[in-house]
Amino acid sequence: MSILKLNVIDLEKSEYKGGKSSLCPGCGHDQISNVIIQAAWENGIKPEGIAKMSGIGCSSKTPAYFLGKSHGFNTVHGRMPSVTTGANMVNKDLSFLAVSGDGDTASIGIGQFIHAIRRNLDMVYIIENNGVYGLTKGQYSATVEKGSKKKKGTMNEQSPIDLCAMAVNLGCSFVARSFSGSKKQLTALLRAAMSHKGMAIIDVISPCVTFANNDESYKSYNYVKENDEVLHIVDYIAHFSPIEAVEVPAGEFKEIKLFDGSTLRLETVGNEHDPTDPVEALRAIHEADRESRHVTGLLYYNPDKKTATETLGLTNTPLMALPESELRPSKQSLKELNDGFRTN
Amino acid sequence: MAIRVNDFTINIATANGTGSQSANLIILHSMYEMGVPVSGKNLFPSNISGLPTWFIIRASDAGYQAPGDNTHIQVMMNKDTWEKDLNNTEPGTVIIYNQDVKLPVERDDCVVLPMPMTKMARSISPKMAKLMANMYYVGAMAHILKIDQRAIETAVSNQFGGKEKAIEWNLQAIAEGKAYAEENWNYESEYMAEAREKDPNTFLIEGNEATALGAIYGGINMLSWYPITPSSSVAESIISWIPKLREAEDGGATCAVVQAEDELAAAGMVLGAGWAGGRGMTCTSGPGISLMSEFIGLFYFAEVPGVIWDVNRVGPSTGLPTRTQQGDLSMLYEASHGDTQHIVLIPGTVDECFEFGWRAFDYADRFQTMVFGFGDLDLGMNRWSTAGFEYPDIPMDRGKVIRSQEQMDAITNYGRYRDVDGDGIAYRTLPGSGLDPILYRGTGHDEDGIYSEDPQVYHSTMERLKRKIDGARDLLPAPIIREEDEKSLGIIFYGSMENTIVEIDDMLEETGLSVSTCRVRALPYHSDVKSFIEEHDKIVVLEINRDGQLFGILRKELPVELLTKIQSVAYSDGLPPRARVYADLILETMKEGEL
Repeated sequence: MSILKLNVIDLEKSEYKGGKSSLCPGCGHDQISNVIIQAAWENGIKPEGIAKMSGIGCSSKTPAYFLGKSHGFNTVHGRMPSVTTGANMVNKDLSFLAVSGDGDTASIGIGQFIHAIRRNLDMVYIIENNGVYGLTKGQYSATVEKGSKKKKGTMNEQSPIDLCAMAVNLGCSFVARSFSGSKKQLTALLRAAMSHKGMAIIDVISPCVTFANNDESYKSYNYVKENDEVLHIVDYIAHFSPIEAVEVPAGEFKEIKLFDGSTLRLETVGNEHDPTDPVEALRAIHEADRESRHVTGLLYYNPDKKTATETLGLTNTPLMALPESELRPSKQSLKELNDGFRTN
Repeated sequence: MAIRVNDFTINIATANGTGSQSANLIILHSMYEMGVPVSGKNLFPSNISGLPTWFIIRASDAGYQAPGDNTHIQVMMNKDTWEKDLNNTEPGTVIIYNQDVKLPVERDDCVVLPMPMTKMARSISPKMAKLMANMYYVGAMAHILKIDQRAIETAVSNQFGGKEKAIEWNLQAIAEGKAYAEENWNYESEYMAEAREKDPNTFLIEGNEATALGAIYGGINMLSWYPITPSSSVAESIISWIPKLREAEDGGATCAVVQAEDELAAAGMVLGAGWAGGRGMTCTSGPGISLMSEFIGLFYFAEVPGVIWDVNRVGPSTGLPTRTQQGDLSMLYEASHGDTQHIVLIPGTVDECFEFGWRAFDYADRFQTMVFGFGDLDLGMNRWSTAGFEYPDIPMDRGKVIRSQEQMDAITNYGRYRDVDGDGIAYRTLPGSGLDPILYRGTGHDEDGIYSEDPQVYHSTMERLKRKIDGARDLLPAPIIREEDEKSLGIIFYGSMENTIVEIDDMLEETGLSVSTCRVRALPYHSDVKSFIEEHDKIVVLEINRDGQLFGILRKELPVELLTKIQSVAYSDGLPPRARVYADLILETMKEGEL
């Protein structure tokens, strides 16, 4: 007799799985898909309550490989945020989980990315960041570091766009960076992002094994492993788990209360980092950048920002569920409207 | 001397941003109040203040609404266009001008009537003199045309609703202008506005406001928009009306309004809303449609409902942003790359702006596709008469949406894109429902929504999509046909040409022709359009563009044996269509056809 492991809503992990991946073997993106499955299952989210969103690119194909019981939309290149916005406006009760890439987010879709942050769209936005365009066979993207070199080809001479620094500057309410090879950290950050209300961005460095996994590439496995400046060890404590169950860390820690009652514990490993201070977040990013290192962890967090739908003061029922009686004003109202025009 | 009663055109030349629009609308509305059949056209520049503006008012007992072919009364307020306005004036015209502009009017062949408008306005308010000066030509017009004082008072009070001081000052200026004209002008007017029995139900309204109200009665859930002339007032009207007409019991909003970062995002938001089961809409003009085109293909291929309302301005490129045209039709019909075809609703009146405004959502949900509303600047931004909007006569059609497991179980072999009913329209489920979820995509997909590059799968999907849109033909608004017994010449036209067609028809019939007309109100075109063509000896397709875009669509879709009798008459110069221009072109084309 086999014992099935169930989550808090009595579902097996298999309920959160998707189809078979068609990405290159060893691709960092597949590790992220596994983390998504793990995090959604551990958080006990109903699969049907999630909407998977993506743009175009290797990363944007992955929603086919996780959460097969959730609806999703693989939209057009760089425009996933606007489709998510429209869906969120008419159904604010859906949990939007978006996957995008560095080409999708930092180039063709940078405008939509910025404006989604500005509106504080209630969504988790994962950037699977490898610095190259994979599907079109290995062109540099705008997040590739200056001086970085892919497997074949010349060195990149342009400065990168740091999506986390940009998001902090724009006042994004949850900004984190991680590495596809850091399963524990990424799982904790993703679980926290899922518990957050508002826009949560996780920039995940995810090596491209085909075009840029050579050691001269700053986004290769070896380089990131050796140059990962971990801000803190992160532990996620779900609102339904007893807090005593978590191991007491040896060093100092901070705790962050998340919207759904869960807690994110940040255990200091080096210099203390205050994630509620945007200046500290930017300093951490820029200092790491100066030394060609990747800083990972929760960079910035602001729980008090109104979401896009809250700002609009929408009625409590999701708009798509409103009955005709609430959507079409009465016959009498049209009569009064016509009469008003007549006497005006 | 014979007096022209309710049959004249006034042209008022002013500068943009000087407050002349209020004066012009007061003249228009006061005559309308008297029951004089009247129409107004605002020819404005792409500018906030300073560039020339002309307002054309036509009174016509015959009901003609196009700008007339001759100007009978020319008002001159703008020094920048002074010479041009003078040169354009035909002999015999009455010229009313602001003497304080201090430019000469040497026209012995015209009736020249000066008035020191700015100086007089200064005596009411030195600060407001520039704005108030315009009210003096309203007074002059009241004198020349014998406009009823009560009608003027009503128009002024509506124009400045509630602002007592403004009403008082403006009425004073009008009275002073009228008194000045009476005392100083030695001119026995040849023109007169005579009261007619007015249908108490009628009122004037802009097409864009009618569209906005239609959308609200159509249950719009999400409006995304990016400002662009001449469509912005659709969005602004929705924003101003929705709190008054639609508020939930908890006081919350029932329509989300998002001012988007660009038109691409606006279209994406409509797509997201439609996918999630809401009623999303955006409004735009040609340049916006160009930007939205990638998404329009996704609507078509992934089969997501949504509404895009295009208020056409003059293209190509930035074109003449504040002028009117029917230049977007072929782009709308086949927007986006690959083979596509979209439903296009084409209102020709403000009543239809309202009606198609709500019906668009029903068609979008029914056919699971993007539906265009297609108007133009003339219909959208000028004021037209209506007897009042009619309440939707059918409940909302939300289309084939499976909302419960029971409904799902009733379908054997369900697939998101499987045509179980044989009408090309498959059933869909909504995110959040947990019912048979799929990953929607713009890539090739099979009947279950799974990625596929299979040649047969692609081919049959595309054939089904064609069948689906084709099946809409006779369910969309049928053409309005006005038929003569003698079926010699038939004119096919659409949209705002409705306001000029009667005058064109009369001009042609004066030459002895017998003319039937057919106003197309939707694409793909209704089978009645084809019958109309079959029944008439000769067909002219009349359009406000250069290339004859509807003509091109008909030529592509009609059986080849019908093509020989169809000719295109297309003309566009940015102005609202004038009857004489089109009537002459039709006559010319007919003549060529005989040779």
